[in-house]
Amino acid sequence: RVLNSSSQLSSLPLQILFYVNGIYYIFYFLATLAMIVYKSQVFSYPDDFLAPDLAVLFLMAMLEVPRLYLGCKGNLREEEAALGLSLGLTVGSVVLSVYLLAWQTYVLWADVVLTAVLLGAYGLESGLKVMAIAAFVS
Amino acid sequence: PADTRGAAQARACSAPAPVTDVARLCVCDLLVAQCDVNCCCDPDCSPEEFSLFTACSVPVVTGDSHLCRQKAAVYSLDVEANPPERIFQLIDQVNPSIFCIHATNYKQALHLRSPEMPTPENFDDLLNEFGSVAFNAEPESWNVDTDASDPPDANETQRYEYGVPVQTEDAFLRLPSPVVSSWCSDANPAGFLVNQATKCIRSVSVEKCESIQALNMLFYINSSILAFVFQVNISVQSIVVQSLDGMRTLLKGADVLRLPMILDELCLNVVLGVSYHITYTDTGEIIEAAAAFVLGAITKEALSIQQSFQISFTQVDTKPVPLSGNPGYVVGLPVRAGFSPQGYPFPAEFLFAALALSTNKHSQLSILQSTPTQDCLAAQGARAPVLFGYNMISGCKLRITAAMRCQPLAQTLLDVLKGQSFPEYVASFGNSQAQDVLDWVPITHLHISEQRISNALQSSCQIPVSFGIEVKWTKYGSLVNPQARIVNVTATLTTTTLKQLPSGRERTIPITSSVVFTDISSPAEPGYKAWPTINIRLPFDFFYPFV
Repeated sequence: RVLNSSSQLSSLPLQILFYVNGIYYIFYFLATLAMIVYKSQVFSYPDDFLAPDLAVLFLMAMLEVPRLYLGCKGNLREEEAALGLSLGLTVGSVVLSVYLLAWQTYVLWADVVLTAVLLGAYGLESGLKVMAIAAFVS
Repeated sequence: PADTRGAAQARACSAPAPVTDVARLCVCDLLVAQCDVNCCCDPDCSPEEFSLFTACSVPVVTGDSHLCRQKAAVYSLDVEANPPERIFQLIDQVNPSIFCIHATNYKQALHLRSPEMPTPENFDDLLNEFGSVAFNAEPESWNVDTDASDPPDANETQRYEYGVPVQTEDAFLRLPSPVVSSWCSDANPAGFLVNQATKCIRSVSVEKCESIQALNMLFYINSSILAFVFQVNISVQSIVVQSLDGMRTLLKGADVLRLPMILDELCLNVVLGVSYHITYTDTGEIIEAAAAFVLGAITKEALSIQQSFQISFTQVDTKPVPLSGNPGYVVGLPVRAGFSPQGYPFPAEFLFAALALSTNKHSQLSILQSTPTQDCLAAQGARAPVLFGYNMISGCKLRITAAMRCQPLAQTLLDVLKGQSFPEYVASFGNSQAQDVLDWVPITHLHISEQRISNALQSSCQIPVSFGIEVKWTKYGSLVNPQARIVNVTATLTTTTLKQLPSGRERTIPITSSVVFTDISSPAEPGYKAWPTINIRLPFDFFYPFV
């Protein structure tokens, strides 16, 4: 029997995107952390401003793990509930990365580039998730 | 006038706004309304003045170089044109680095913050933040350090060091002393090991004499001294009662506290003098404290009395010998001297008899003290102690008549110059103990006789005319806190022949006595830590199997 897209509802592009996103996020986390350390050494970075930036970064890391896990599980098992939950967590991640892009104490050019790529990945992911949910529900 | 004052106050209350426009910023514009030389951004310069410049001292004015994109004002001189003219360009400067600042949400990041102007509301906060010796740019992170360096708790006392105020239960051991004027101030603390004696005037009145604290014995002994572990109470050593005409009697039974009381028109038992004696150990702990009082009476007419206070510190188990320094001599304190007792053997022996010291001023190192009459024979033995570091010269005039005989005259003059008992040893340190014989320097005696060549054949007796003591001292110890140490004492006696005078004539010759202190310190040698050595050793079997 030939597997065709009509009997398999799991989205392959979404799965690939999850995989890539996971790897990219690890790189993004380490790079942003290193840049915050660099900023605190080179610029004047009082503790009042350093604490929120670090908190946002670690919160985003903590959100990322369940987000990717639920997304993978939902996509592979064709469960819309898990995928929907993952979509909700994506919204939170988007908000946090917008903070890192625009409201950080010091936004370096490298920050802008990396976060923009991350946001682009989130956007693409969200679109594919919506399509997958639509496919599962119907 | 009130309006201008108010307006000036209003202007002074706010600092001028900071200039951040690069086109208007000029760092080299120092002279107001005048053109600064070679300053291309100076707005006071005219084009004719620009043509005289040779170069631009400030070529570029920009903001923070870390910014990705910013405006920059570029000034340059076009020397090709005739006349040379200044070129001003406003360009966009781009920082190509990937770590350039794209945006920042922290206002103080890029420019200095305008300082807060003090107002009556925020003055206390500003004083707390900036009033100390140093303050951090980010005061929030500095709070941790200031908490750690709290001043030591008043209850736990460390060992006392020289000069540290002696602490009691409430504040310090007070030694009232005159400050600025002669009136007593009770805020003078007694320093540990600092022997002090002060006299001051206190205003009194008979009606209020029971309420004036400072006339009451209790004021001086009620708080106990905080020693290292214990609290030492101040005991009453003795009470001397001084009557109105000045006669003093020692009271037997000094345990009774005598408080001021008004009787007839007198106030009795008023404190006229306190003498504290503190006993300490060699580790700096106070173990005993005693106070000796002089009580007196004041009459109704007396508006003020003079009180005298004294404090002295003695080490436990030692007889109090006044030190002249600890350990090095202190300038102005007497040079300590002494004798060795009879039968003092050679320096190589170790069974020494202690040097006989006494505080009797006649056996201290002293020189002749000049008297107003300046007559040597009527000098009456007035002597001045030799104080360390003070070069002194004194003398007298000797009137020689024909009837004087040389030998007794020479002996008398020797007594006048040297004193009754001239010591043999001088302490090399200010705190040398009599038991440490090696700490004492023997006095070397030199004799110079001025003999005239024509009288070489006559061996007439000589009379001393000059006695000079030269004390050589050196700086000893560390560079930071050098101590004075006497190394050598030489006493030079100069004698001259006495010419016989024809009868009826008399002659006056001056006799001098002097003390000179010479510093023979060698230059300090800095001491360095040993250079680190490289200690390379190969393992035992490094060349296996060849060795």
